[in-house]
Amino acid sequence: CKKYLDETPQGVVSSADLTTPANTDAMVTAAYSYLGNDHYTYPFSSMWAFGSIRSGDAYKGGGGSGDVVEFNEYETFSTNVITNASSDAVFYQLYVGIARANTALTLVEGQSVANYPQKVEREAELRFLRGHFYFLLKILFNHVPWIDETLQKSAASYGAVSNVALTSDQLWTNIANDFRFAATNLPAIQSQVGRASKGAAQSYLAKTLLYQAYTQDDNNNVTGIDQTKLAEVNTYCDSVINSGHYSLNPDFANNFLPQYGNSSESIFSIQYSKNDGTPLGRLDYGHCLDYPMNVQYGCCGFHVPSNNMVNAFKTGANGLPEFDTFNNTDVVSTDGYSSNTFDPRLDHTVAIPGHPYKYQTALLYDASWARAPQTYGPLLSMKETVAYTDPSFTRFPPFMSSSKDWEIIRYADVLLMKAEALIKMGQENAALPLINEVRQRAMNSTALLVQANGQPTSNYKMDIYKPGVNCTWTNDYAWQALMFERRLEFSMEGYRFFDLVRWGIADTYLNSYFAVETTRTPHLAGAHFTKNRDEYLPISLNQINFSKGLYKQNPGW
Amino acid sequence: QTRQISGIVSDKNSQALPGVTVVVLETQKATITDAGGKFNVTAAVGQTLRFSYVGVKPIIVKVADGTKTLNIVFKESATDLNEVVVTGYTSEKKKDLTGAVTVVNVNDIKDIPEGNAVKALQGRVPGMTIFADGSPNGAVTVRLRGTTTLNDNDPLYIIDGIPTERGLQEINQNDIESIQVLRDASSATIYGSRAAAGVIIITTKKGKNGTQRIDFNASTSLQYYNSKLSPLNTIQHGQAYWQAQVNDDEFGPNVASPIDPSVSNGIYTYDWNKNYSNPQLNSVIVPAYIDAAHTMKSANTNWFNEISQTSILQNYSLTISNGSPHGNSLFSVGYYNDKGIIKETGDTKYNARYNSDYNFFNGRLKIGETLSATYMKDPVLPTSSITILSLIENPIIPVHTVDGGWGGPVAGMDDRDNPVRLIEDNKQNVNAFGRVFGNAYIDLAILPNLHFKTTYAADFAGNYFRSLQLPYVAGFLSNPANQVGQSTDYEVTETWQNQLTYDLNLGKSKFNFLAGEENIKDKYQNFNASAQGLALNNIDYAYLSAGTTNIVVNGGGSGDALLSYFGKATYSYDDKYLASATVRRDGSSKFGSDNRYAVFPAGSVGWRVSQEDFVKDNMPFISDLKLRYGWGQTGNQNINNNAIYSLYQSIYGNAAAFSGDSGSAYDLNGKGSGTLPSGFTSTQTGNPKLKWETTTQSNFGLDFGLFNNKFTGSFDYFIKNTTNILIEPPYLAVLGEGGNEYLNGASMENKGFETLLSYNGNITHDITFNVTGNIAAYRNKVTKLPSDVLTGYPGNGTTETVLGRSINSEYGYVVQGIFTSAAEVANSAAQPGKGLGRIRYEDLNNDGVIDQNDQKFLGTSDPNFTYGLNTSIGYKDFNLTFFFQGVEGGLVYNSYKYLTDFTSLAPGSNWGTRTLQAWTPQNPKSTIPALTLIDANNEGRYSTYFLESGSYLKLRNIQLAYDLKNALKKIKIQRATVYIQASNLLKFKSSTYTGPDPENPGNAYPIPVITTIGVNFSY
Repeated sequence: CKKYLDETPQGVVSSADLTTPANTDAMVTAAYSYLGNDHYTYPFSSMWAFGSIRSGDAYKGGGGSGDVVEFNEYETFSTNVITNASSDAVFYQLYVGIARANTALTLVEGQSVANYPQKVEREAELRFLRGHFYFLLKILFNHVPWIDETLQKSAASYGAVSNVALTSDQLWTNIANDFRFAATNLPAIQSQVGRASKGAAQSYLAKTLLYQAYTQDDNNNVTGIDQTKLAEVNTYCDSVINSGHYSLNPDFANNFLPQYGNSSESIFSIQYSKNDGTPLGRLDYGHCLDYPMNVQYGCCGFHVPSNNMVNAFKTGANGLPEFDTFNNTDVVSTDGYSSNTFDPRLDHTVAIPGHPYKYQTALLYDASWARAPQTYGPLLSMKETVAYTDPSFTRFPPFMSSSKDWEIIRYADVLLMKAEALIKMGQENAALPLINEVRQRAMNSTALLVQANGQPTSNYKMDIYKPGVNCTWTNDYAWQALMFERRLEFSMEGYRFFDLVRWGIADTYLNSYFAVETTRTPHLAGAHFTKNRDEYLPISLNQINFSKGLYKQNPGW
Repeated sequence: QTRQISGIVSDKNSQALPGVTVVVLETQKATITDAGGKFNVTAAVGQTLRFSYVGVKPIIVKVADGTKTLNIVFKESATDLNEVVVTGYTSEKKKDLTGAVTVVNVNDIKDIPEGNAVKALQGRVPGMTIFADGSPNGAVTVRLRGTTTLNDNDPLYIIDGIPTERGLQEINQNDIESIQVLRDASSATIYGSRAAAGVIIITTKKGKNGTQRIDFNASTSLQYYNSKLSPLNTIQHGQAYWQAQVNDDEFGPNVASPIDPSVSNGIYTYDWNKNYSNPQLNSVIVPAYIDAAHTMKSANTNWFNEISQTSILQNYSLTISNGSPHGNSLFSVGYYNDKGIIKETGDTKYNARYNSDYNFFNGRLKIGETLSATYMKDPVLPTSSITILSLIENPIIPVHTVDGGWGGPVAGMDDRDNPVRLIEDNKQNVNAFGRVFGNAYIDLAILPNLHFKTTYAADFAGNYFRSLQLPYVAGFLSNPANQVGQSTDYEVTETWQNQLTYDLNLGKSKFNFLAGEENIKDKYQNFNASAQGLALNNIDYAYLSAGTTNIVVNGGGSGDALLSYFGKATYSYDDKYLASATVRRDGSSKFGSDNRYAVFPAGSVGWRVSQEDFVKDNMPFISDLKLRYGWGQTGNQNINNNAIYSLYQSIYGNAAAFSGDSGSAYDLNGKGSGTLPSGFTSTQTGNPKLKWETTTQSNFGLDFGLFNNKFTGSFDYFIKNTTNILIEPPYLAVLGEGGNEYLNGASMENKGFETLLSYNGNITHDITFNVTGNIAAYRNKVTKLPSDVLTGYPGNGTTETVLGRSINSEYGYVVQGIFTSAAEVANSAAQPGKGLGRIRYEDLNNDGVIDQNDQKFLGTSDPNFTYGLNTSIGYKDFNLTFFFQGVEGGLVYNSYKYLTDFTSLAPGSNWGTRTLQAWTPQNPKSTIPALTLIDANNEGRYSTYFLESGSYLKLRNIQLAYDLKNALKKIKIQRATVYIQASNLLKFKSSTYTGPDPENPGNAYPIPVITTIGVNFSY
């Protein structure tokens, strides 16, 4: 009769079943899988909700300020709260990614090289993945608990690790060490393109060191810049650049078109898929709110480029951006698209009424495609979307998205990271060709920006920086150029806010943005960036309570 | 001449009455009816027989010429003390009960066509609350004595002795002979596991010895909705939008740069004075078409009217029964069809039953069975979406485009689908449910007082669902893909019970012993698949093999087992002193081997004070008085089957549209499609130390009858403590997925009382009336929770927690009113978004700023008390019954207020007519905040603004019946009744509740008024 109560669990495996080499390798795949497990309520693919709508580049969009109110709190800063559900969700989700990496690391470390020849390489891949998830946590929350595979997994041991056990700098060092291990042990080229390569690890290491180089005090003030780290950034960027494996795509558009996935510019990207045996496909769910509200699409009108962002694409008579004056006249409210000249990246990035949507000359974007034009104006972001006719496009009503891969680091970023390091090291002349390489490609990227009649969509006038001809290339000027170039090249790609914080200008930049932008759109009424607080999201009240008060709240919150 | 006269005495439910005294007045010869209600006396023509029974007016019959058999029916049921009550594997007489047991008068509810007998019990059983919407399939949530635990609070159902967790919506209401509700532990403990939330015992009808009858019941109902919400019509919506925009321009966020409403709204234009300081609207101009392509003419659609209907509900049942000393049989069929008040919804139910038993060796061996089959068909429509959409879809959208396509949202509106389309495009998707449930038993009298009974039961239930998703275009919403889905599941529960009972009568002492054993095994499996790319959009074509792309297959299963031993002894002395003791040892597969078994004891005592001589002699008005006390423990194990194990699952990928993906597949090869490499996902952390959750309950009770049982009543007071509550608390994020772990971590207490009072009155011989009222209340308190999980419950997780409060506590901001002057705005605490016409929140901690620290406990959703009042008035052959039920107190979160009162929280949706009364400088008395298009003040926050009184009083049921028996004397008919009745006809609610029905605050499937006409015949 004893056996009567023995019920074997159905359809599941126990942790003991995972120790075979095959299942261990499957757990590495599971760790990779989490790269693509984001969702529109915690989009950690492009970080648009955390890095774009907090940066002055974009409004939240959607059906009014109450539609995903968490993101509205991000956008205004002044209304953000320690109980913001998206902050708690993204914190948890990134730790799920870390937990998957740690679980797989434990299993991989338990294998012998004889049974599992790919052991070291897989360790390197997993530490790369862990580094990625920690990097995102770090730029969002600053102080987070460091959990790695050396810690026995249990509620008691994990719960004993405080978010302030390590200093901010020590956390950066740990993240850098993960990438450093990966950079040392990964092959230059992976036979499976979705796996991290040496170049990916070196690039991410450079990115980590670049953030770490800008030292901050306990109140989020940038206090200095670490030249040694900058030199390392330069070195690792050089390794990537000189590897010969990477180059800029000939057309800027290729980075945002599904058919060019894993291109020469792609250093590491999230691999999405469809028709893959999952119910809807392993799609890019993080961006599924960002499509327009017309019959070809239908939801949900989020992520709206700000007027300020559109104005930034204006070029002067010399084909260069207008660092100080770009925002003095407003293109959007004056319908100044034909009376101004623009950087071509405008029409790759922003959906503008009357302009072809996503290079479809027969499908002109219309103001009526916006969700709440009375609140957020007529524009939408386009880099993350695809043509509705594209095979990667998938509907899952009311939402839709695509299986288009999403770049976490592309080669242009490596070039501009190196340029940033060089300028901060006083070598602005060495930075010039890097910035110009990025600009030259942008200048060349007009082939797809045509209307049905073959005419260019907008008036494009753009030039590279030519010291002595159209500019004076001082260190200060170069810094202006670098900051502006990053904004234009990566606009709406989700990292702008973190650039502003890294550079220590978030408060002045955003409050002056709000001062002007509030007069253009009423939804920003009351928005204000609080210095020494809003540089980082607060640690969620839930987590502080779950930790029984062990976690310490970020300054100002 | 003298002769033998025999017959059967029964009550109005055709239940045989044993113990009725039959006296021949002239000879004073007396006899007593036997267990089957039978009597046999010798009397002469012209003599008088007097049938007397405790507490009832005697019936006097003259022996006429030719009188040989006499069947006597006691219509009044002034006393039911001798009523036999099924109380756990055995039965007892009601007078001997020592627990808190409510016997439902099945007669009161048998004609109420709710599709679920339990639904009709709302308010009739003190301490029992039913939560149900109006959906035709009759699903309900039942709570006895409040919320007892943090997991499963559903009562256990015992149908013909077999425990089941499925409700009664699958049972033919006409097959139900009796319903008993065991509320306290002393009576429920015998059911041990799963009995903590109370037990509802159902006995189905059986053939009766010596009878042969045919029962036919038929009813038809008309149902409709009488509490509609009032969304704005097309012109009103335009007005509200205009008002919101000019408010924003006048004193709202865009004072600096006013926007003309005609410009900002993509659809309406306005004739107005363009004066931002004193705006006047002359007219709202509606365009001819709402879309640029001119396919959708501007409409004034009342979406609720489009989706709802007045509909028919039909209910038929036929029962044929036969009884003889050798055995009884009963066969019944039932048909129930509810068309639903939302178009194309509905429920069709077919029931069949065969109950029989056979006696051998002079009744020493009895073999019997019950067998029931149910087949239900339900169209699967997204009804909650449909009802909500009917309130928020913009009225200007036409149902159809000019060329017959679907109307739908256009620019500036939210992505809300056309609810009529949702109905039409889903009506072909029908779920079929089948259930076969039955048991067979052998009862052997080893000695006259020693019975052995063994029962085997099987409950097999399964669903088959096939659906076709059709391609569509509705405004800017569209999906060109079609999809077939098929899913099946089945659950089989096998129960085997063995029990031994022994009755011992030693003079005044009566003993009853029970020992038993029970094994229950449950298995569940499911399978579902879908495919796209069908060549035809036709449900008859839509099978899986017709799909060509996106083929997805899933399946799973689970199982659990229970093994129990139990014993019970009852003792009564001289019908005065009663005692019983129960012990049950339960083992569950859900716990680790160390904690599998738990022992649940119970005991109770009773004292029938009215049997004492000093009462009999001195207080003759007391016809019955019993004091009771019971104590007992019950268990709960209703958690995930494998909670003791740490597990990984091969989750390849989820449908991640509304929630994130927990899949483990990844396109490492970068191919973009095809089968992907994948791994395993951690799904839970095992806790091998898990053990049973235990509920300990004390019950103090009192039953009484006064004035020959004209007044009867009962009172119960209970204290219910649940400890080691099985919870799966939220956990520290760093643990990642699968960090969820079941713990025995919380305790909770419920205290309350239940009172039932009844009065039976006969004004004259022809006029009778009966009033029964009940009132019940309970207070819930969380007494223990691990400190780190407090955040998962109302409160701030540290200083303000749910500990010591009801689990149903509400926590949030306090609304003080609306800012009505610039001075008030300037002089109030810092509040991001404050302004004229905006909600003013109270600075609870007086720190000069409104933030999350300005929240507090606002009350609970537990009602102060619940009550019911049933009145039955008879005049000759007419009978009028009306039943009121109500809830007093308790807060209800009226989430629809987001739309009735605000234009900013869902600016692309339709709003309620209350927006037209919102605050403006010209309408300064309004308590509805000024309309705005931008919610800068975060007014959707959890606050007292949305918490409203949940009190209501409803006329649940009113029925007028006419007994045709006298009219149809010539036909040999035993019973013939016609009746008309109505359910939910009247409703009274607190004026502070701004929605239509506080019983259905989420505006789920509306609760209809059901008006019924029906007949019952017995031959």
